[in-house]
Amino acid sequence: MNAPKRGFSRRELLIRSGVVGAAGLSLPAILAACGGDDGGSGGADELFVENWPYYIDPTEDGATGTIDRFVAASGVKTTYSEAYNDNLEYFAKIQPLLGTGKTIDPDIIMPTQWMAGRLRKLGWLEKLPVDKVPNAKNLEDAFKNPPSDPTGEFSLPWQAGTAGIAYNIDVTGRELNSVADLFDPAFKGKIGMLTEMRDTIGLLLLGLGINPSTVSSFNDAAPAFEQLEKAKADGQIRAFTGNDYMDDLSLGNFAACVGWSGDILQLQADNPSARFVIPEEGGTLWWDTMVVPKGAKNTAAAAKFMDFVYDPVQAAQITAWVQYMSPVKGVREELAKIDPELADDPLLFPDDATRARLYAFADLSDDVEAEFEEAFSAITGA
Amino acid sequence: MAAPVVSRVRNLTGSSSERIGLTGLVLVGVALLAVGARWVSGPIALVVLVLAALIVVGFITLAVLGSPETKRALSPYGLLKPGSLWLAIFYLAPLWTLLKISLSSKETRFAVFPTFTWEFSNYGKAFSDFGPQFTRAFLYAGIATVLTILIGYPIAYVIAFRGGKYRNILLGLVVIPFFTSYLIRTIAWTSILADSGPAVKVLDTLQLSGVLEFLNIMQDGKLINTPAAVIGGLTYNFLPFMILPIYVSLEKIDVRLVDAAQDLYSSGSRAFRKVVVPLSIPGIFAGTLLTFIPAAGDFVNAQFLGNPNTTMIGNSIQDQFLRQNNYPVASAMSFVLMAIITVMVIVYSRFFGTEDLA
Repeated sequence: MNAPKRGFSRRELLIRSGVVGAAGLSLPAILAACGGDDGGSGGADELFVENWPYYIDPTEDGATGTIDRFVAASGVKTTYSEAYNDNLEYFAKIQPLLGTGKTIDPDIIMPTQWMAGRLRKLGWLEKLPVDKVPNAKNLEDAFKNPPSDPTGEFSLPWQAGTAGIAYNIDVTGRELNSVADLFDPAFKGKIGMLTEMRDTIGLLLLGLGINPSTVSSFNDAAPAFEQLEKAKADGQIRAFTGNDYMDDLSLGNFAACVGWSGDILQLQADNPSARFVIPEEGGTLWWDTMVVPKGAKNTAAAAKFMDFVYDPVQAAQITAWVQYMSPVKGVREELAKIDPELADDPLLFPDDATRARLYAFADLSDDVEAEFEEAFSAITGA
Repeated sequence: MAAPVVSRVRNLTGSSSERIGLTGLVLVGVALLAVGARWVSGPIALVVLVLAALIVVGFITLAVLGSPETKRALSPYGLLKPGSLWLAIFYLAPLWTLLKISLSSKETRFAVFPTFTWEFSNYGKAFSDFGPQFTRAFLYAGIATVLTILIGYPIAYVIAFRGGKYRNILLGLVVIPFFTSYLIRTIAWTSILADSGPAVKVLDTLQLSGVLEFLNIMQDGKLINTPAAVIGGLTYNFLPFMILPIYVSLEKIDVRLVDAAQDLYSSGSRAFRKVVVPLSIPGIFAGTLLTFIPAAGDFVNAQFLGNPNTTMIGNSIQDQFLRQNNYPVASAMSFVLMAIITVMVIVYSRFFGTEDLA
């Protein structure tokens, strides 16, 4: 069921740029592209969703993907893009527009929870038409009113997951179970870390016995930054990666890395040597959210989409493919009908004991966040 | 009706036409620069653009209707216009904007437009925080340039002097990799050089890994994510930029000069050193510039083939611009990079003599 999906992203990028190039040949297309107000979802019944790569079930192997099912059920013409690749990069892309009161083309984007909080504080989000999303009542209690959106009016979680240790057992030759394993000299030059600061630093903090949910100043987290800096200088760390760490893990370039639960579950279908573990010290909990950018043209269609994917029957289809935790109540029961084995997977449906070991990163104040990001960027060596 | 104008135009002497030509060129250039660098905006910018267009139209009218002498005097300025106006709007204006941003500061963390405040500390930060990246950029680009000369010169030599009827095919083979995207070619190396990939296997089988480890080309059994891989990637990617200019300068050499040297009892290698190499210096010079300058600012090779300890200044600039949103410091870094490269090129051309280039 799961081809090596991430590997195709670059080809897709090429295809996409080819399409853009071809569109550029006609002057009206150029003018439309420059308009900004005139993007992909101008009409009343059109919707533009921008999401992370490989984050929804596509139409393939005879199965109809969620987008196509949504189009068939609602009649809304939907454009689905996978251009959301990195929170900071995406922010840099939209800042000149949303920061000057212009709008962006997508009606729904899926930033990670902390980035959704930043967008909300900047006033760049529309309130969700909650009354038009009756299925929002299916939201799991654990995700209600997070610090990034205390009133719950601006965001609805899309998928959740944990960052833990991903490893290739062919290379490590043993099971891993602790954050300390990432610093094992035997794996020198074969360790990967994520460029997503909260996941990498969060995991290191847990390894040092510091709760990432309670850090409030840079000093609280400084030991983790020092540990990371030292590991980088020693050559322990091979690379800081985004989504592309799966290739390195699969090829054996990485013995182990900080990774995301669902990715590794997807990867296991192709490469049985891939393993994922929430280390004994604990793992980080994160979630990506659906938000509507300020000035989006089609909030009504956005509401329809959110309502659709909050129907447990539909949400279970997505979960079966992306294999992340679903924030939708009732998915487990629906998933049991499709794939009983997945419905019992503790990574998708963590029991209370596991849940107690998952920590969301603290909601940092603006200045503290800036300090964290600067220090992290100095280490990732960029 | 146009007769008075024509006669007046015909009366212009050569020198005053030249003055008109130069003034027109400068005025239009400044106008485009002003609009491009946003010194003026809104309706005023429109007025400035219309004025610039009027000057160009007037210039053309003068040149078309003028006497042969006027035409002759005006034509150089006319011919200069497309190039210099292009430079004004697409080079000078962005450069000015970059300079201004490099001396600006952001009032709030997510401010879209930085405020101009003579913020010289951006330059201090560029030096103090990114010294190693600057050093690595010039070190790696320098080594890669030397390697491209060592590899590229023999190839260009063979194609130019021994290519015969296969010359064009051989040149085509040099250029063919360009049919694939730069990014794809670089990423392809990540699979070839992977720890469990073909290259490492062959080296292990041949028992050469130890030698390469000793030479520091391999590190901890890795071929990829090492400084050598970054330098290798730069060398591979910029090799054609070295081969082609050297080929062009070698190809112009009259073979009879070598024959003459040998007739005068020069050995083959001496003839090569005293005749061929000096005549091909312009090619090496051009190739060096085409290789070193882009290689010093490259970030693709370091990103895909390097590790966190091999990042080059291009990676830092990209990160500051596109992820950290720190336009002021990123601009300052770009300026420092440009300044260093300019100084290096000036010094280099003093020693290598550019007059041969023409």
